[in-house]
Amino acid sequence: MLYYVFTLVFFLFDYFILAMGLNIQYGATGILNFAYIGFVAVGAYMTGVAGMPSNITGQHYILGLGLPFPLNTLFGGLSAMAMAVIVALITLRRLRTDYLAIVLISLSLVLYDFCNNFVPLFNGADGLYNVPAPLTKALGLNVNSFIVVFACVTGVVALILWFVMARVTNAPLGRSLRAIRDDSTVAGALGKDVFRMQLKSMLIGSFYAGIGGGLLIQFGGSFNPTAWLPGETFVVFAVLIVGGAGNNIGMFVGALLVETLLIHLPAFLPEIPGHPGLIEYIDSALVGIVLMVMLWTRPQGIVPERVRRAVTFGVPDRPEIDARELGSAEVLGAPVAAATEGAK
Amino acid sequence: MSLFWLSVGFGLVTASVLSIASIGLSLQFGITNYVNFAYGDFMALGAFFTYVFNNQVLHFNIWIAMVIGSLLVGAFAVIVNRYLLGPFARRFQTTHYVLIVTFGLSLVMLNLIYSIWGADVRFYSMPIASALSIGPLRLTVTQLVVIGIAALMIGSIHLVLQRTRLGKSMRAMSDNTTLAMTSGIDTKRITTLTWFLSGSMAGLAGTVLGISEGNLTPASGELFLFVIFAAVILGGIGSIYGAMGGAIIIGLATEISAAFIDPAYKLDIAFIALIITLLIRPNGLIARPGTA
Amino acid sequence: MSAANATAGSPPLTVDALRCEGLTKAFQGVHAVNGAAFEVPEGKITALIGPNGAGKTTVVNILSGAMSSDSGRVFLGDTEITNWPAYKIARQGLLRTFQLSRELGGLTVLENLLAAPAVQAGDSLVNVLFRPGLVRRQERENAERALELLEVYRLYRHRDTRARELSGGQKKLLEIARAVMASPKLLLLDEPMAGVNPALIEVIGEYILDLKRSGVTVMMIEHNLGIVEKICDHVVVLAEGRTLATGSMSELRSNTAVVSAYLGEVINAGAAH
Repeated sequence: MLYYVFTLVFFLFDYFILAMGLNIQYGATGILNFAYIGFVAVGAYMTGVAGMPSNITGQHYILGLGLPFPLNTLFGGLSAMAMAVIVALITLRRLRTDYLAIVLISLSLVLYDFCNNFVPLFNGADGLYNVPAPLTKALGLNVNSFIVVFACVTGVVALILWFVMARVTNAPLGRSLRAIRDDSTVAGALGKDVFRMQLKSMLIGSFYAGIGGGLLIQFGGSFNPTAWLPGETFVVFAVLIVGGAGNNIGMFVGALLVETLLIHLPAFLPEIPGHPGLIEYIDSALVGIVLMVMLWTRPQGIVPERVRRAVTFGVPDRPEIDARELGSAEVLGAPVAAATEGAK
Repeated sequence: MSLFWLSVGFGLVTASVLSIASIGLSLQFGITNYVNFAYGDFMALGAFFTYVFNNQVLHFNIWIAMVIGSLLVGAFAVIVNRYLLGPFARRFQTTHYVLIVTFGLSLVMLNLIYSIWGADVRFYSMPIASALSIGPLRLTVTQLVVIGIAALMIGSIHLVLQRTRLGKSMRAMSDNTTLAMTSGIDTKRITTLTWFLSGSMAGLAGTVLGISEGNLTPASGELFLFVIFAAVILGGIGSIYGAMGGAIIIGLATEISAAFIDPAYKLDIAFIALIITLLIRPNGLIARPGTA
Repeated sequence: MSAANATAGSPPLTVDALRCEGLTKAFQGVHAVNGAAFEVPEGKITALIGPNGAGKTTVVNILSGAMSSDSGRVFLGDTEITNWPAYKIARQGLLRTFQLSRELGGLTVLENLLAAPAVQAGDSLVNVLFRPGLVRRQERENAERALELLEVYRLYRHRDTRARELSGGQKKLLEIARAVMASPKLLLLDEPMAGVNPALIEVIGEYILDLKRSGVTVMMIEHNLGIVEKICDHVVVLAEGRTLATGSMSELRSNTAVVSAYLGEVINAGAAH
């Protein structure tokens, strides 16, 4: 029982991290990163090989640095960032939205395909196994207590990363990213180096992807290429849209509803005899349907993006100006009610 | 007979499947101006509809089943556009939303296909084809039929585009939707017809993919979609004639390269072609003005 | 409180004026701009006029770096800025507005202004993570200045409203206020008064004169020649992508070539206004 509960807790916090990473790329900056899971996979793989010793027989992999936790995970995060630099240089500068989406989703599939086939580097379809479980020796953990401890460790990591992300998104940096999302031409005309800003956003988001991936591989102990198919990116998008694009707390809510309740809870249901995998298929289809319904009925998500009020910038409220300005209505026309423009 | 000519033969078959699929995707993109990421699953649906009429009920001849299966996907595409994608595209000005929705639709369709037909590899029931030699090439009768179907589709789409009112309206809409609307073209009807045509071609492509590969699985369409993307971008997205050219180049390139490199990396070859195209000629070989 | 006070913090002017020569730009073989050449005198308000399709907006797009030109050169003071990227031109002090207001819709009105200063300590990740005090201090200073501007531009009440929810007139004002917030030396206004009611046209005219008084060089695309006559010191006439004439409005009206060839009716209509 404890095992199941803490498995769910782990996935909650891990997907909270993953969704925050995608949120700064898509929710804040508007980069439709359909290759997100590829960055998670790179983080996972590099964390694995950074943590594993160099001499396990029967598996092909690179590095084998034997780094302890959390250095291996940090290495995974940095590797994902390195990939982001390459991807951004090739794609971001020159492609409009749908080309970018096509290239990224293709990239994601090709990464999978390449990993799955190229044995010398990635061990082919076997992936990695016997990835060391962190802290086990140091704390003398068994299989069950490892789940509990590692879920809590992931929770702490998620909180630290949330604190950092909140800082970034509330800072002028976050505002510049949102300006680029809303209209990159205007942002450029105001002196923002759009490409550099998008690159920053990609780097920060990829770091989160890499860390989330690194935690995943250590939790499960293995790296299986089929777990990183492009469809997995969609799950993170579902978390993001349901929770509320542009809101970090929303990412937690989305992870709770989509990843924990919708995806992992049904996994504990018994199989329907004669129909292997049926529950999983229907469940995956359900994720897609939930996302579409959500996008139609409440595109801003359960926890919408915050309105950052003037008072939060440390300036005093001056109601007397509000009063003085009343006469301006005849010049400006009546202020348009919030709803008239509709959702954009 | 050399390995090279053998792979040229395979290349022609792949190019045939690819050109049917690429034309269908380009038609739809030209009219609606967004990419349908569920297109590969439309293909898979077509393959399985054909399978139903070929193997599960009625036991039609494979080619008859193929026609029925393709038309059914066309009808399905019309419904999807009318009740799902169309409303999203009209309501949201940025294309992000509708792209995410097609991505989601792909997940839904793939998993529904898995739910209904399972993950087992399936086969069409069709006569064992004998092989013929044509010049240096050696192809089975089935492969020749696939090539013939593709040639027929390319020819008829060309005639539709150039000779019919429908085709002219489609080209006008593809160039400028607003202008087409103000000049009296019934854009709603053209959109519906285009989705029907595009869906039918997806269904057809899915079936001939199953025939040429010798088996069908729910995920085969999705994997093939990325090869289609390579062909479509190589030809210039939204350009029908570009898509035909791109399909032939990518089809031959992937199969001929497979003669020299491990065939497992076919997909990677297509992707490299896609990246190189984007780096050198981002608008494709046949640039369509104003799209990039 | 006037706009002049609100922009008092801008650095001293070192740039003389804007100058362009031989600009060309073709779209699909059609020359939208075909040899345009003119100067924008410093500290003055210059109007860029001409019929629809004369290439006015394309010229502004080229000058501001939103588009690259096929040939020709642009100088901002002594600096050649030909085909620089937009953000670098903006950082040289040349700001522009758009013909159709382009508000940053998801940001509040105040945030639209706060996004304007090109270089901010808080745009650096290192500063955000390790020097939060510096970032917060600069944010407060910027917010104070932004709120002063919003007061001047009659948007103070809407400071916490998402910009996409403003009315058309309010968006026009926000467009100008945001550019002013970026401390421009030279401001290119693309039809700042198009589509607004007559009362607001007067108001915007006053704002532009205020900007001139505070030392900002202004160039504006404008169709309403009555307004041009009233507030602009210098006029550039563009036709078919070329500079047809330059000078003051009265000089242009006495320029028979211009009048008979092309501007007669429009100018007389403007004078009657």
